[in-house]
Amino acid sequence: MAEDLNALSHDAFRARWREWLHANFPNEWRIPIIHRLAGEDERRWHRMTYAAGWRAPSWPKEYGGLGLSLEKQLIMNEEMEAHRCARVLDSGGALLAPVLMKYGTEEQKARYLPAILNGDDLWCQGYSEPNSGSDLASLGTTAVKDGKHFIINGQKIWTTLAAFADRIFVLVRTNKDVKKQAGISFILADMDLPGLTVRPIMNLAGEDELCEVFFDNVCVPTENLVGALDQGWTVAKALLGDERITNGAPTLPRQSFEMLEQLVQGLDLGDDQGVNDRVAVLLCDLHDLAALHRQVADAAIRGEVDNAVLSMMKVLATELFQHITDEMLRVSNESAGLVEPVGIGGLDTDLRKLFMVARPSTIYAGANEVQRNIISNMLLGPAAK
Amino acid sequence: MGWRVDNELQQMLRDSAQGYLGDAGGAPHARRVRALSDGFDPATWASFGELGWTGVLLPERLGGSELGLEPALTLAEELGRSIAPEPFVASSVIAGTLLSAATTDAATELGIALAQGRRSVTLAWQENRGSLGLPPFVTCLQNGMLSGTKVHVPGWHPGVALLVAAVSATGPVVVLVDPTAAGVTITASRLTDATLAADIVFDRVAIADDAVLLRGAAAEAALQLALARGTVALSAQLEGLAGALWQMTASYMKDRLQFGSRLSDFQALRHQMVDLSAGIELAAASWRAAATALDSGVGVDLAIHAAKARCSQAAQDMSRWAIQYHGAFGYTDEADVGLFVHAALAWSTWLGNPAAHRRAALVAYRSGNVRHG
Ligand SMILES: Cc1cc2nc3c(=O)[nH]c(=O)nc-3n(C[C@H](O)[C@H](O)[C@H](O)COP(=O)(O)OP(=O)(O)OC[C@H]3O[C@@H](n4cnc5c(N)ncnc54)[C@H](O)[C@@H]3O)c2cc1C
Repeated sequence: MAEDLNALSHDAFRARWREWLHANFPNEWRIPIIHRLAGEDERRWHRMTYAAGWRAPSWPKEYGGLGLSLEKQLIMNEEMEAHRCARVLDSGGALLAPVLMKYGTEEQKARYLPAILNGDDLWCQGYSEPNSGSDLASLGTTAVKDGKHFIINGQKIWTTLAAFADRIFVLVRTNKDVKKQAGISFILADMDLPGLTVRPIMNLAGEDELCEVFFDNVCVPTENLVGALDQGWTVAKALLGDERITNGAPTLPRQSFEMLEQLVQGLDLGDDQGVNDRVAVLLCDLHDLAALHRQVADAAIRGEVDNAVLSMMKVLATELFQHITDEMLRVSNESAGLVEPVGIGGLDTDLRKLFMVARPSTIYAGANEVQRNIISNMLLGPAAK
Repeated sequence: MGWRVDNELQQMLRDSAQGYLGDAGGAPHARRVRALSDGFDPATWASFGELGWTGVLLPERLGGSELGLEPALTLAEELGRSIAPEPFVASSVIAGTLLSAATTDAATELGIALAQGRRSVTLAWQENRGSLGLPPFVTCLQNGMLSGTKVHVPGWHPGVALLVAAVSATGPVVVLVDPTAAGVTITASRLTDATLAADIVFDRVAIADDAVLLRGAAAEAALQLALARGTVALSAQLEGLAGALWQMTASYMKDRLQFGSRLSDFQALRHQMVDLSAGIELAAASWRAAATALDSGVGVDLAIHAAKARCSQAAQDMSRWAIQYHGAFGYTDEADVGLFVHAALAWSTWLGNPAAHRRAALVAYRSGNVRHG
């Protein structure tokens, strides 16, 4: 697509994207909330969008992205939500690429960014460890420099989609003699290196996307270090601001609320005042969160970013998602215990799965309690220990 | 869409409001008004007039500044932060909207007096406690006689100008009634924000033709708009109140030491304060969205119900935790917390409480095919 998408009016842009999406998004992927494109499906999606000129909306053009305004990025998300598209994680495009753009060498950018764009490389994020979750800076996986190589030893865990990934970006300890944040480095590794093994973990939604990743004398060249040695903590924080606003969108609450309404109508509970009063609370929560998100996005488009509110929206959106799936269980009696699609009100999903999919959202990307710590530091000043 | 950042006009108004209210408003002023038997301070109302606040929605022909709804809401938010007991919502917003729509001589005269802060004006519309929006009126104007009962008429004091919404043979009307006229019986009650609300019985009260300010479709539209704006403005006041109370509580928590720690260092309390702050962020987002909906005409009912529910709830929640985190001191009349809590009680329950508005929001959502976000 040679023309400048940014030059299109919002309506024209929306129409253009919608037309392409409806014509090309595979029907079997139109499963919102509970389905996520993984492995070859994810690769195929990146290839499709890349070929059609829709890949990497938020990336600057100099790196091969679309360089779209935040407004247009949000429009793309809205259309995907409305089309009931499955989720896509895109660890490479969303999490690693901003880091490389900010801290990578020219060689690193030239080597890795194009392969993220065209779907050749799928990445996974290796931060958490068995003993370092919320307290990530305590991580113990080590990398020791040995001539032109780092030798990595240790274990990562909860590495999403590691089994399908081509490469991993890891945080490793390169210095034990300094404050814990000051001895961490950010390193890239190929998943097929000798000594690197992956073991999937079965989760409560019946998926095995989470993995353990073991490093046993894994040897990577020193040019795989991103940013300076021991500066990995700072490097890891280089997320695009825009990404955080799109992440704070109330997409999952909105989609699940519509399912809840399908259930309520299908069970003929529309006149049950007890149910209605609970649903009304959820409706108002959703309405107001959507209003907040739009206003925060609107302010961000004009350059005003409020970090406390961005974190708040993560907390609000994930907890609302859970409250909505809780209510689905509450209204649906024995059907809530089925490991089968419920078939009530045309709803063809399994309620247990919806309930389970909502659980980890309050744990990952900074557990909500940790988010509250961060927000309270911003609102009340740091707590004395 | 709504805004998070003031435009130039809003910023200017906010600055002048903070300047004036910082000196003349807040808890000391609320205590002074509480000591007045009428719950109304004409001198402060006159100052509001000089500042252009009483006529913020009134057109130039009435001496108003006609700034429009959004700046009026900025003011409402600041008046809420300052727990102003003045009848800004009842008079400047609700009655002001009606007087802007009317063109009779009596309406013009009253509009000018309102813009100057010489009069405050109130609208009697509600006929049963707990009703939301315009009811089908029983109060009736027939052959020049007004009969019926109104409840919870806000901003009551002996000098107030009284507008009454009623039904007539030609549809709804808004009439100006002399509260001292024969056949008018008034029972005023004190509210928790120190103001008075009146229950009023009209028993064949003579109404001159020129006291009918609005008729028919124009009356209906103006009444709808007045209540909608009033509800959004009251929501903004409640959010402002909750935000100020949050800050007051946070400062207290930073000063008060127990167990060798500041209260503000305890994690359980910090997390609760974050959740209360999130509630206030949602409240602000919600009334702004309602103002925008009112402007565009899209999704108005859902947005207004959600806003009043959220802002009322945020103020009530903040009130409870403010008392708790001030400890026993928070339970005293001496602490200013109580003034905020009392104002929150009156404001959050007037024009529909949170539960009623949430129910209405769901009805609007299900009937209107409006999107929830
Ligand atoms: C679905 C899913 C996908 C994930 N994907 C990845 C991935 O791709 N890559 C990766 O590196 N990691 C991933 N993670 C890991 C995630 O980042 C961690 O789970 C998270 O950081 C929390 O760490 P933890 O699970 O060890 O919990 P812990 O740190 O042990 O915390 C347990 C609970 O204790 C509470 N808590 C912890 N600290 C505090 C505190 N200071 N104050 C108050 N309460 C506290 C919180 O409630 C928390 O949920 C994923 C996790 C999930 C669930």
